[in-house]
Amino acid sequence: MILQSFFQSWLPFIYLYVVGGIFFFSGMYIIIKSGSLNPQKKHHKFWIKTLLGGYFFFLFLHAFLIISALYL
Amino acid sequence: MEVHHSLGTSTDWIVMVIYFIAIMVFGSYFSKYNRTTTDFFFGGRRFAWWLITMSIVATGVGSHSFIKYSAKGFEAGFSSTMTYMNDWFFVPFFIFGWLPIIVYTKIRSIPEYFERRFSVLTRFFATFLLLLYMVGYVGIGFLTMGKAILPLLPPEFTLFGIHFEITLMGLIIVIAFIVGIYITYGGQTAVIFTDLAQGFILIFAGMLVFVLGLDYLGGFKVFWNLLPTEWKLPLAHFNDPPGFNFVGIFWQDGVAGSVGFLFMNMGLIMRFMACKSVDEGRKAAAFNILFMLPISAIVVGNAGWIGKAISIANPSIVPPTTNPDSIFVVVANVISHPGVFGFIMAALTAALMSTVDTLLNATAAIYINDIHRPVKKWLTKKVLTWKEEDKQELLSARIATVVFTLLGVLSVIPFSKFPTVYEAHGYFHSTLTPPLVTAIFLGVFWKRFTNAAVIGTLVGGVALMVMGMYYPRPLIEIFAHGTAYDPSHPYTYIGALYNLFVCALFAVITTLTTKQQLSLVNKIKKNNNHKSIMGAFIVTSIIIFILILFNLLPLVALLILTFVMVALVVLASNYYIEYNEEEKTDGLTVWSINRAKEYFKGSKINDREGEKIRVHWKLKDGVDDSIHFSKSDMKRMAAEVGDLVYISDARKYLGGLKSIHSVYGEPHDEDGIVYISSEHFEQGQFVKGKLLIAEKEM
Repeated sequence: MILQSFFQSWLPFIYLYVVGGIFFFSGMYIIIKSGSLNPQKKHHKFWIKTLLGGYFFFLFLHAFLIISALYL
Repeated sequence: MEVHHSLGTSTDWIVMVIYFIAIMVFGSYFSKYNRTTTDFFFGGRRFAWWLITMSIVATGVGSHSFIKYSAKGFEAGFSSTMTYMNDWFFVPFFIFGWLPIIVYTKIRSIPEYFERRFSVLTRFFATFLLLLYMVGYVGIGFLTMGKAILPLLPPEFTLFGIHFEITLMGLIIVIAFIVGIYITYGGQTAVIFTDLAQGFILIFAGMLVFVLGLDYLGGFKVFWNLLPTEWKLPLAHFNDPPGFNFVGIFWQDGVAGSVGFLFMNMGLIMRFMACKSVDEGRKAAAFNILFMLPISAIVVGNAGWIGKAISIANPSIVPPTTNPDSIFVVVANVISHPGVFGFIMAALTAALMSTVDTLLNATAAIYINDIHRPVKKWLTKKVLTWKEEDKQELLSARIATVVFTLLGVLSVIPFSKFPTVYEAHGYFHSTLTPPLVTAIFLGVFWKRFTNAAVIGTLVGGVALMVMGMYYPRPLIEIFAHGTAYDPSHPYTYIGALYNLFVCALFAVITTLTTKQQLSLVNKIKKNNNHKSIMGAFIVTSIIIFILILFNLLPLVALLILTFVMVALVVLASNYYIEYNEEEKTDGLTVWSINRAKEYFKGSKINDREGEKIRVHWKLKDGVDDSIHFSKSDMKRMAAEVGDLVYISDARKYLGGLKSIHSVYGEPHDEDGIVYISSEHFEQGQFVKGKLLIAEKEM
């Protein structure tokens, strides 16, 4: 039962944000390294915060929903 | 499985007809803004981010429809939201990679990018695959619409003594006829504005179903307590059942689907290109994915969750055996009153229409840009004026829309064999997107990715994908993450990982061996029979491809032959097509975005940050494209003569509808006044006495 629940709750969550995170942070690295996103520019700083904020927004949203389903 | 017919009352039908007439009149009003093919396809590149964000809701919600997510919500619970909340991983690639490239290089279609980045032959491959993808998407849209409307109709009816049986295909043909008429005369501006209205209405209608459903059940607490724990989890079980599991959907939708949606869906890309600037396009994309998609996930899936709760509390009202693809219509009918049900159904079908008309508009754009223009250039030498040519293209675009509508209807036939729309869409995405996704993605982000490599990727990838369909077990099983083998629909979702892997494998191998390929080609060129050798390579490759396509040899032999075929194709590509890396990547990869900007502007970039200013406008003599501000206004905008400028009506709620792009001309001394030509006035549809806002673009 515990294993079953892990397979439907935290395992997909970990897989989503680790494998998805590899794609996401590779993307961040490439766009910064190529100069397309320039951390020195004031307006681009907003975009760096938005992009990282978006990743953690979804991570916390999924964690919250899993905890709500399991314990509320 | 329970099949429903004749749901709803005559009041519902009256509401539906009124809704459709209203939305078509609303859309027709905006068709007056289609003055050129640029307006018809791209809406004139003038809109504010919020307007595009809302118009994308109708397209996104329509395509990832109420029907399929309610079906999955009914079968699996809250995990139906998965596909709406896994798109963020590729947003950096899109908003700082693909979007600026496609806007700044003034590329009008994805195949055109392939020609500029690689070669004419690659453009041909890309056009073929992309049209297949778009027509398939249109087919999915028609199938969904048919399944949504069918439960509302009686199984048969008699008109003038003739007996008619209502079938899914018959209904889809009627729907296609209506959609075809609308899009043919509307164009992109009409689509954007009807989608804007429908975006709001859809969210309202979806939330209305949720609120009415909760009220019907006795409140949120009752609803929450009725559902079992596994139904409340936001992610599906890791690898079980084969028809709906997390890992398969992650690779099919989160990776192939997200990249496909952002990089390949011309309908969506054209929306972003209709934004007034790249930065507005970024805002539209980010806001849409961060906020509108999670809201849309609730909007489209909740009827399934409510249906599940009702089926537990009162199985006689919503039987657990109800056809999942009908659950949205069934639940909406149970929980709402006559008239309200009609409104919800009208909103749903109108949303699906939005998706289909956006796709048809995009497909016509690909046709004009990648087939009509190149073929016409090749066949005729008669020189037409710009206006004559544009008129002719607008007519061809309308005819093409009708033809693609018919092809979309035909593509419904194979999709209708899947148990639900969700599975049909999943299979479609996991098989058709990987080759193009890999090619576009590596083309944009990997400078070393050559023309021969992209051809090798498309040919080799498609060959191994075909073999994956014939031999799912030995080939795909190692990628399956433990997902069970379902003989009727083997590896519907996780097949995407295999397909992506084989395409990427060929891409890497063929790119990293470029030097060896070129040296071998040079050796062949020194041989007296080099033309015959290359001819033999091509014939052999075609024979091998046919052997693979019809599965005429054992697996091991086919696998070996695939590698042989790719090697021959790559050598032939290097022999026939000259590829200059420096020239072919200039401004066309993420590593040279600034060059793309310079190309867009036509001169050096002025990156100084300036203010937005409010000005009155006056007409000037002459028809040149420049507009003229005072010296001090130009200073406030940090602008110089020759820089690009955007001016729009100052009323923000218009979202850029009345606006133009132009170039700064020589300044004058009247502060607060801009001089524009009569062409600018007509293009921007400016109103006398109304203020304009001006800002420097770059």
